[in-house]
Amino acid sequence: MKKAAPAEAKKAAPVLPAEKLAKVRELLLGDDDTASVEAAKALGQSGASNALEPLVDLLSVGAAPARAEAAVEALGALGDPRAIDVLELYAGHQMPEVRRRAVRALASIKDERVVPALLGALGDAAPDVRATAADALAARKETKAGPRLLALVKRNDAGAAPALGLLASPELVPQLAELQGTVDDNVVASALGEYIKRDDVSDSLRVDVVRTIGRLSGAAATTALVEYLGSVPAKDDRPSKKEAQKLVDDKGTPK
Amino acid sequence: MTTRGSKLAAVLVVTLSAGCATSSYQRAGSSEDVAAALARTGAVGVADRPANAAGRPLAFLVLGGARGPRLAAYDLAESRVLWIQPAELKARVEVGADVVVYGVGDAVVARDIASGAERWRHAIAKDERLLGYTIDGKTAYLVVQTGGAHLHGGKASVRALDASTGGARWRHELPSGNAGAPAARGGLVAVPLQSQYVTLLDAQNGDQLAQVLSSEEAATFVRALPEGLFFGSSGVFRLSPATAAGSRRSAGYARATLPEFVRPVYWFDLYRPEQGDYSALDRNRILWRMMASGTSAGEARFRDDLAFVHNYRFFFGFDARNGTLKWAYNHPGTEAVASADVGDALAFVTADGELGALDARTGARTFKAKLPGEVVRGATFDAEGWAPRAGGAAGASAGLSETLSSIVWDPDRRFWDVKIFAIEELARQPGREVTGQLLKITEQEGLPPAVYQKAGEALVARKDASAADLLAGVLRAHADYADGKAAPAVEILARAAGAMKATTAAPALVAHLRRPETPPAALTQIARALAAIGATDALPALRDFITMYRADPIYDGDPTPLVAASEAMLALGGPAERQLLLYLAEEPHTVEPLRVHLRHALAQTASAEARAAAAAGE
Repeated sequence: MKKAAPAEAKKAAPVLPAEKLAKVRELLLGDDDTASVEAAKALGQSGASNALEPLVDLLSVGAAPARAEAAVEALGALGDPRAIDVLELYAGHQMPEVRRRAVRALASIKDERVVPALLGALGDAAPDVRATAADALAARKETKAGPRLLALVKRNDAGAAPALGLLASPELVPQLAELQGTVDDNVVASALGEYIKRDDVSDSLRVDVVRTIGRLSGAAATTALVEYLGSVPAKDDRPSKKEAQKLVDDKGTPK
Repeated sequence: MTTRGSKLAAVLVVTLSAGCATSSYQRAGSSEDVAAALARTGAVGVADRPANAAGRPLAFLVLGGARGPRLAAYDLAESRVLWIQPAELKARVEVGADVVVYGVGDAVVARDIASGAERWRHAIAKDERLLGYTIDGKTAYLVVQTGGAHLHGGKASVRALDASTGGARWRHELPSGNAGAPAARGGLVAVPLQSQYVTLLDAQNGDQLAQVLSSEEAATFVRALPEGLFFGSSGVFRLSPATAAGSRRSAGYARATLPEFVRPVYWFDLYRPEQGDYSALDRNRILWRMMASGTSAGEARFRDDLAFVHNYRFFFGFDARNGTLKWAYNHPGTEAVASADVGDALAFVTADGELGALDARTGARTFKAKLPGEVVRGATFDAEGWAPRAGGAAGASAGLSETLSSIVWDPDRRFWDVKIFAIEELARQPGREVTGQLLKITEQEGLPPAVYQKAGEALVARKDASAADLLAGVLRAHADYADGKAAPAVEILARAAGAMKATTAAPALVAHLRRPETPPAALTQIARALAAIGATDALPALRDFITMYRADPIYDGDPTPLVAASEAMLALGGPAERQLLLYLAEEPHTVEPLRVHLRHALAQTASAEARAAAAAGE
């Protein structure tokens, strides 16, 4: 089959009529905060190729945090790479909520240029910002994030654990397992729980990881095993499933 | 006024109101009496040698540890122990010609200097209190209070004992039970009384020769040195006719100019029994000697104009006239528990038995010896004139900057006052390396805020453009939670960058302007620094900063960072920046304080521009 050209594969973005765009822009930059936030949402939901400009303009001249959050959110909905610069700027905003939204908006842009900013956001002081960046990097299967995510897990950052499980290379798994005792067991279990659910992991390694989870204390360990059992098809009789079932039976089902 | 000073004032009032006609202190303060006493005894000008008859430089070390309390005699010239004897000292060792004496609680004990054998023991009766003792040549002098409470009531007397046998020679009754430990030299015995008087006795027979009235400063100590007799508390009076009435205005009074961290202890408070024993005070005090005085005015001037400070592990040499630091010495590891200025050298011993000497003029280490496995509690040095020459064992001496740096970076966290002083002094030293050291301090985590502040202020003040690249390097770091890194001290570094016009630091400053963790005060300094540097490349970042936050209510209360950014834009920018600021000044969402400032600033700069344009047109 002939591969489709990008223009053919992707549906062309709509364009807002000039009159409507002008009206929304007026609301966006006007005195009414509520109307401005609604206008930003509308622009984001429009998916229009010309919706970006008023949002970038608003952020470029500056706005109160509520408006800035809405505009950033809308840019994320548009996913337009032309917003990368302004979103990177707002990913350094002093308010954590603005940063979190800017990071999420960057994550929604399918462009490699956003990766450094997402990796940088793993070092943010705010846990929510780090977790958003971690999830975004995991969703993008950005394996470069592995060492920084491991560093966060070593600091007991629960928000980084699932992403690490999703991105960890086999070489990283022993390091993760060795954290038992120095890091909260729930954090380790959360990362390993995501790891065993991956399709790209050999079952022999998975059995080892399941046993490691079995040695962890806390509800997260049991939850990880139960979730793993739930993720395996009923007719699949792989050894790791048997091992997990045995451990769950030993531990008892969480109440 | 100090507590001691208050006491002194009270005593003066009582004394004066009681009337002097019948007072035992009727002639106190008589310069004629003091002149006669000095002339009769020839107290000044005694030979520059140790007190012991052999003339050997000795240290008497009070040892503790697992082997129990002991007293050791150590020959500094030969680096060997002469003897060690079991001895439970409760007070300091005083050194005579043939014996040393020390207090053991209920007695004064004398030991033979050559062998350490006990020569005699003078018991203190149950109703008596040993207030202090000293020894000069072949006579020991004890001040003993009978009855009363310490420093209150009862009667005190001076008892002279034959140092060889302990036999009584004479006894002199003092007019008050409130007396301190004596000092003796050259035929004079000086006894402090009531914190205000110093009674001078003839060492031959105990006759009272004169009384000093220390009218302006408590006399908590008397001290006998080869260069004279001294008394005082917060300063030092040389005993002379000019100081008979204790006038601080006389040339016979000296007080060194020293930095704030120095505890101004010129000698032990001889009224306080706990200072009669080796204590923490031995580790933290001023060491000093005086010039020999050949004038009738009895001038008191520190020898070579130097005063020394022993502060636990550190020694400093200062110009006593102005407090200029001449040298510093950092003893690694353990504290020096005792020290003495023996003329040309400072002798010391550490808690773990290391003996040392420093050249008094340079601070260079000139002597090193060790008593392995010993714990030293205190020491008395009898080593007048001992001046060892630097040898291989003593090691090379470090430069002042290097020593000050070693003090700043010393892992011992107790001495922040000394470290802050070291930073101040380090900052006075020239060189890019010193700036690098100061920058390193700002990078160190866990230091007290005052240390950062001091290092930062020093960086700002020295304006060392040669180290701009070092500053930029430090500023390039930023906070990262994942890596466990904290932000550098951006506020002070930005000030320093502005002061040294560090253009290379501008990109890093811009990066911090854009970072969320940069605190408002640092943002303000960044904007000011960028303006000072003339960093026009920073204009886009300044524009981004001011627009991003100009409508943020968080800056409604204090818009200083935004104001600083706007001023930097006006200083660095052109019409485009003015146009943006004009827009922000008029736009209603801009926080009001910033709008007010912008209107004012734009009007002012517009007038200036108009004047400049008009001037150019003429």
